[in-house]
Amino acid sequence: MTQCPACRLPLGEGDYLALAIHLVDRADASDSPHVRWLNQNLARQRTDPADLVGGLRKVYDLGSGTIKDWIKSKFISKFFGANPHPFVVALQHPSRSTLLGYVVEHQHFLRQWVRSCSFIMARTDQPSVVLYELDNLNTEFGGFGPSRVSHYELLLRMGESLDLARSQVLATPPLPATRAALEEWNEIATREHWVAVLAAMHSLELIANRNLVDVGASVRYFDPAILRGSEITDASKNFLREGYEADVGHSDEALALVAQFGTRPDLLEEVQSTFLRSIDLFDDYLLARLERATQFEA
Amino acid sequence: MKRNYSGCAICDSTWGNLWEDVEGERMFFCCDVCLTQFRRLVDRVKRETGWSAIEALEIEGDRRGRRCLAASGEARFRFRIAFNSLGEIRAFERLAVG
Ligand SMILES: [Zn+2]
Ligand SMILES: [Zn+2]
Repeated sequence: MTQCPACRLPLGEGDYLALAIHLVDRADASDSPHVRWLNQNLARQRTDPADLVGGLRKVYDLGSGTIKDWIKSKFISKFFGANPHPFVVALQHPSRSTLLGYVVEHQHFLRQWVRSCSFIMARTDQPSVVLYELDNLNTEFGGFGPSRVSHYELLLRMGESLDLARSQVLATPPLPATRAALEEWNEIATREHWVAVLAAMHSLELIANRNLVDVGASVRYFDPAILRGSEITDASKNFLREGYEADVGHSDEALALVAQFGTRPDLLEEVQSTFLRSIDLFDDYLLARLERATQFEA
Repeated sequence: MKRNYSGCAICDSTWGNLWEDVEGERMFFCCDVCLTQFRRLVDRVKRETGWSAIEALEIEGDRRGRRCLAASGEARFRFRIAFNSLGEIRAFERLAVG
């Protein structure tokens, strides 16, 4: 079946007219996620449902590529297009406040990450997916002993290197915008098919995938030059380098699993819609990091 | 208020169907997030300038960030503004008029 990319309402497989009718109906009720999706993906001027069907078919069409290519290209146009996401712009040569905004909001993201990926593990029937998630969760959260600590630990150390105590980080609740995104990711994880959750969550690791510049991204997540030199603290380099090195593998491997298990036509559209909603949430969440950063500006 | 947008007061989209009174004028918005954005913008400009009303507003840009020119009588106020996903201001910067 297909699903609404704004609210995940299930609709008939390939029934883009039903989807168009639903989108217009919800937009006529001024519902923000639907209006936003239409504005950003199809048209900014109100039209009748019949006029949207061709555009919707085009959004979902894989063309001559695979689901992997489709996800990458949608992700690139949203975050790494001609006008990259403001957080990506800020992270090219990050200020202390940008990095601290990252630390404070991202600790909440990583805790939800564990929950989301655990739902994938609990619900998949594929050992290869369980093994992938175990490795991912150890890299991100559990760590592999003192010689190879987790991304979560590296994040907290980055905060400490910028004079923000971990006790303070851990005691700070998420901003409302972060909280809203996390709540919806949690709902996605508990309700959607595990392949759709796999796509929705692990596609987000494309943000740090440095190879996207080879397939059309205008910039990387950050300028790799900051990993040399003394522009940022060593702990910040360790944190950013970890993602830079791990997330190529994480995102590519997960997308390979999505391609392997998610190509049944009915499931494919579910995967696509859940992914589309997830990148809207990610867009919101990245802005929340910047919002938090302003609190650390002198 | 004289404006350069005929659709939604903040993003110019013609989706949605939300009509609300802002500054004594009935205005069209595509959704409640845009309504919040517009109200926050108006409040902030009035606070920064001390004006009692904004007579004209020109907006350019998109959700990534907007550059605006507000006017009241002969006075002009130029600024950059960006919002979070809930419509609250996350960045505001005065720009030189000119
Ligand atoms: Zn919907
Ligand atoms: Zn609007």
